[in-house]
Amino acid sequence: MKGNSFLGRICLVILVLSLQGRMFGQTSNERLQSITAALRGRDFQQALQSLQSALQESPNNPQLWMLQGLAYSGTGDSKSALASYKHALRISPDYLPALEGAAQLQYEAGSADAIPLLEHVLKLRPDETTSHAMLAVLAAKKGDCAMAVQHFSVIGSMLDSQPDALQGYGICLLKLEQTEEAIQVFGRLMTMQPNEPRFRQGLAAVQLAAGKPQDALTTLQPLLDSSPNVSTMRLAAAIYEANKDTPNAVKILRDAIVKDPRQTALYVDFAEIAMDHQSFQTGVEMINSGLELQPAEAQLYLARGVLYVQLADYEKAQADFDKAEQLDPKQGMSAAAQGMLAEEQNQNNPERALATVRAKLAKQSEDAFLWYLQAAIISQKSPEPGSPEFAQGLDSAKRAVTLQPSLTVAHNVLAKYYLDSGQNAPAAKECRLVLQQDPSDQGALYHLVIALRKMGTTAEIPDLLKRLAKARQDAAKVEGERNRYKLIVAPAGSSE
Amino acid sequence: MTMDRRSFVLLSLCASAQRLLGQEQGIATRDIAAQPKPAPSGRPFYAHFTDVAKEAGLHAPIIYGGIESKKYIMEANGCGCAFIDYDNDGWMDIFLLSGTRLEGDPPEATNRLYKNNRDGTFTDVTEKAGLKAVGWANGVCVGDYNNDGFDDIFCTYFGQNRLYRNNGNGTFTDVTREAGLWESGPARWGAGCAFVDYNRDGHLDLFVSNYIRFSFEHAPVPGEKSTCNFKGVPVNCGPRGLPTGRHSLYRNNGDGTFTDVTKQAGIDLATESYGMTVVAADFDEDGWPDIFVACDSTPSLLFMNNHDGTFREEGVTRGVALSEDGMEQAGMGVGIGDYHLDGHLDLFKTHFVSDTAGFYRNDGKGNFDEVSRAAKIGVETRFTSWGAGIFDLDNDGYPDVLFVTGSVYPEVEKKLPQYPYRTPRVLFRNLGNGTFEELESQGGDGITAAHSSRGCAFGDFDNDGDMDVLIVNMNEPPSLLRNDLKVSQNWLKIKLEGVKSNRSAIGARVLAHYGNKVQAQALVSQSSYYSCNDPRLHFGLGASTEATLDIYWPNGLHERYQEISANQLVTIREGAGLVPNRGWKR
Repeated sequence: MKGNSFLGRICLVILVLSLQGRMFGQTSNERLQSITAALRGRDFQQALQSLQSALQESPNNPQLWMLQGLAYSGTGDSKSALASYKHALRISPDYLPALEGAAQLQYEAGSADAIPLLEHVLKLRPDETTSHAMLAVLAAKKGDCAMAVQHFSVIGSMLDSQPDALQGYGICLLKLEQTEEAIQVFGRLMTMQPNEPRFRQGLAAVQLAAGKPQDALTTLQPLLDSSPNVSTMRLAAAIYEANKDTPNAVKILRDAIVKDPRQTALYVDFAEIAMDHQSFQTGVEMINSGLELQPAEAQLYLARGVLYVQLADYEKAQADFDKAEQLDPKQGMSAAAQGMLAEEQNQNNPERALATVRAKLAKQSEDAFLWYLQAAIISQKSPEPGSPEFAQGLDSAKRAVTLQPSLTVAHNVLAKYYLDSGQNAPAAKECRLVLQQDPSDQGALYHLVIALRKMGTTAEIPDLLKRLAKARQDAAKVEGERNRYKLIVAPAGSSE
Repeated sequence: MTMDRRSFVLLSLCASAQRLLGQEQGIATRDIAAQPKPAPSGRPFYAHFTDVAKEAGLHAPIIYGGIESKKYIMEANGCGCAFIDYDNDGWMDIFLLSGTRLEGDPPEATNRLYKNNRDGTFTDVTEKAGLKAVGWANGVCVGDYNNDGFDDIFCTYFGQNRLYRNNGNGTFTDVTREAGLWESGPARWGAGCAFVDYNRDGHLDLFVSNYIRFSFEHAPVPGEKSTCNFKGVPVNCGPRGLPTGRHSLYRNNGDGTFTDVTKQAGIDLATESYGMTVVAADFDEDGWPDIFVACDSTPSLLFMNNHDGTFREEGVTRGVALSEDGMEQAGMGVGIGDYHLDGHLDLFKTHFVSDTAGFYRNDGKGNFDEVSRAAKIGVETRFTSWGAGIFDLDNDGYPDVLFVTGSVYPEVEKKLPQYPYRTPRVLFRNLGNGTFEELESQGGDGITAAHSSRGCAFGDFDNDGDMDVLIVNMNEPPSLLRNDLKVSQNWLKIKLEGVKSNRSAIGARVLAHYGNKVQAQALVSQSSYYSCNDPRLHFGLGASTEATLDIYWPNGLHERYQEISANQLVTIREGAGLVPNRGWKR
């Protein structure tokens, strides 16, 4: 956590050392004092020099290795710092300051290696809130919201000083469909910092996601009444659309485009609404006007390519995806889109679709979605379990989820491979991973029911069936709301 | 690059087609790619189908709604048909349902009974039999509800369902009211039906599925809602967007009357379904009949019998309610049979265009695995599909699959020629290794001919030892596909007569052992699409010249008959053994 400043950490560690006294015994007090004084004075080079000679004398003193870790951290040499902490832990695995130091470094690096270290800390000190907070943030980042919420919930008021973490907590609650709790968390954020527009926007966005677009509009209204910025207008468009007020959604998006005609996301939002209302040509025309201003914007080509797919104009779609890739080879989406296009165009020729996807994979072997696509296309061919083709599909699905653990479609296809080969427990596990991210994923709910039935573990099934029925009803309701408006070409500034 | 942005593109590409073509129209379809067709096996197929309806005297068109366009879904779904030996002469007669038109009843609009003249022709005896009836008929099931030795007829309708008692003298009497089956409330849309002795008291009870709650006054018209278009063309609305029907179970009181036991049997708990074809059979082999209901655009239902007069619905858990990816499908028709020759009753369910049919393999405990793709049925997604059967059409010992097809939107082909209204029949030959091969011209002109078909019934109308097919065509005369086997192989037909069980022996399960194979069949009163097959169970035996039979009677008795010679009909009476056939001629 960022609030645990480095200087503060040095002071804390030194305090602990002073309390420990000569616990590790081999180093003279004077030398220790000179090292800690150097650290306190942020003279890390001096500290490192002193530590070098001290470690020659007492190479098995974990205290000294830990202090060396602190000193290296002070110089910004995280790699050496981590090595020092690890050395300390090899000598004394439960040495808390070293555990915390190593965990802090790994956490800051965004490494999953922080997790076992933090869990070790919590084993020694179960109520240590910083470690809970770090674990919560890491779990949220990994998409494991159930775990994140478990840790967030024990942190208590400390979260009030960590708005970003509090926001992560809220998002996880939302993902777990604990919508009321999520709204409370975002409400807490807004109360803490009432003049911070992003928290008002955040609360409105959560209310929108929780299916309360009217509340969201009320929350956002003060911002809308006072010369809203473009991001507020974007959110308002989404809220209007959810409120079945497509004319206002389109109007505010058009106003936003007039206000900031170079903001690509606005054109993409417009394209999304056009998609939802089957107004593909209108979407294309809006993207065209965006491209007049920004002819080198890859996202606009991608969005237009998607619209062309809907219009079954595959050649133009292909040209747009190619252009997007050419403009921004690193964005990675074009390859996936091209793979999808290959699948769409070659529905009766999976070999050709596979060849296209494989060609893309040869260039972008770390693209999780392409691996998923390969797994999905192979799955559609229904290979025999145990066959080389089945193994390739299974491996592709595994690769996809390894590269991008949050890619639910890949977990779903992996679950299907497991089910087809009679591996019901791993299938159930994959389904659960999907459901952690999207508790109403119909495919995952259904596959989990089937896997549990085959495993003979039936206690959970009635609840899953209820969830599946609700997911179906909700999906039907959403679909029923679509297609109320058809967007048509109109002069800029007007809607409908 | 945020996930949201990415998901826009990817979800658009993944799901838009489904959303636009499936969810946002009135009928569920997955818009999935067909499986690639494997290389042809090169093996000859000896069954050959010719439409002989005209020569057989089946001239009258089956009236059903508008010809050029259909304003309401009522006009689109069509009806079923039945093979029934109403006069017990050992020859299958034909019963065809009919609809009518919105603007008024044309003179041809009536259900029809055709008597088999035993020479390949039929005579229309509708009026004489007292079966002339006009209305929106949907399903038919046949069974001897009063155990008098003559099969009776139950027809479902939009409006009032009808029970016709067979008087045993070539005539029928409409006994709906006196049987307690008269509905006094608002018009219901009776759809599938099945005679089933759910409480094993020896009397046939009655299950009726209902499709939607419909009224002409309140029904939306083409284009009015998002559920009233097909790929941008305004079409009749539904079933999505219309309220679901309520299914009913009626207990036979044993005195010619029925009591509505829907609520006490637990059937009323299934409220969110557009019910269509009903198949009642003992899927979990516990000796008690279960009930499967194919449902349109909602999860299909499997009511498992609790042995105490109640049912529990377990379609989703048992793997027959949803597609393999957990989505709703447009379940219309149902075939029942044992394609894998493991002695268990599998199910085959037909769906809407751009979806595969569903093939569900039973593990013998009533749990099903969807094997549509594994069985290579997924190669065909071009047609909206209806009546279906799992029958050994070439008598090679392996049950094949045949289903009939036809669009529900006659107006669409003018704008989108790739979606014709009339489409061919689909024939899958069982390759004997768990997979099927789609045959087209190899099956004969009767297979490739294009019609907008709905119900179909499988039976041996000419008593020549193979399975023929009777097909309902919308606003056309029916088809009667005569099967002319080019090479004859062995077969065995079994006619069952219940004694303690219901007289029709509906609900019996028979295992035929021949060669190294074992095949299960069930005697049901409805399957295919709203239709009823020849009640004589037909087993192709391939090279085997005899078969051993295990018969599981509806009331629980198990009998074994050893080494029955091939190429004959045997009539088996419950507890009494083989008895003389009635009227059988070859």
